[in-house]
Amino acid sequence: MIGEDVVITVLEVRGDQVRLGIKAPRSVAVHREEVYVELVRQNQEAASPAAESLDALGALRPPTADA
Amino acid sequence: MSISAPLRRDGDVDIPEIRFPGGLPGFAGRERFVLQQWGDEASPFSLLRSVDDEELSFVVVPPSLFFPDYEPDVCDEVVESVGIAEPDDAMVLVIVTVRQPVQDSTANLLGPLVINVHDLRGVQAVLEPDRWPTAQPLVA
Repeated sequence: MIGEDVVITVLEVRGDQVRLGIKAPRSVAVHREEVYVELVRQNQEAASPAAESLDALGALRPPTADA
Repeated sequence: MSISAPLRRDGDVDIPEIRFPGGLPGFAGRERFVLQQWGDEASPFSLLRSVDDEELSFVVVPPSLFFPDYEPDVCDEVVESVGIAEPDDAMVLVIVTVRQPVQDSTANLLGPLVINVHDLRGVQAVLEPDRWPTAQPLVA
């Protein structure tokens, strides 16, 4: 996915062929890595809930459930 | 069903396995899971239980139940990686972080699980972090 910091330039046009340059600053790569790390962290936090925690889950009902 | 109950294949019945190539982020190598209904018939929750690691499981839920406006814009690369060509090919689940008190529990909307319903290949997509949180409360 193209983000705001990614710059695409037209390097060359030859006939019906266009050569593109794509510049993504290092910050974009770092940002992606940070997102991945956060995803991992959240997966780890969610993993293997204790049985006692699960028991209470039945109290959660979707907003559209019948009363 | 108690979470400590071991997975059993009853006789000749094959429990369909969902396969996440590479495993989930943070859980590499654990690719095979089964989905078990959790709770009574009214419960929207399921347990995604690892076949490879019996200690590993996740509570999952179809996001539309709690987040009716959630329409994840999953990038083409991700859907194609599990062979999804159109919306009907896909089932989306989100991982729930069960908290205490349980009303504080949250769903990971940044990383939905996208599963091909025909061959049960799955992947955890990563959406736009500025738009979707990893811990969205299930109830207001």
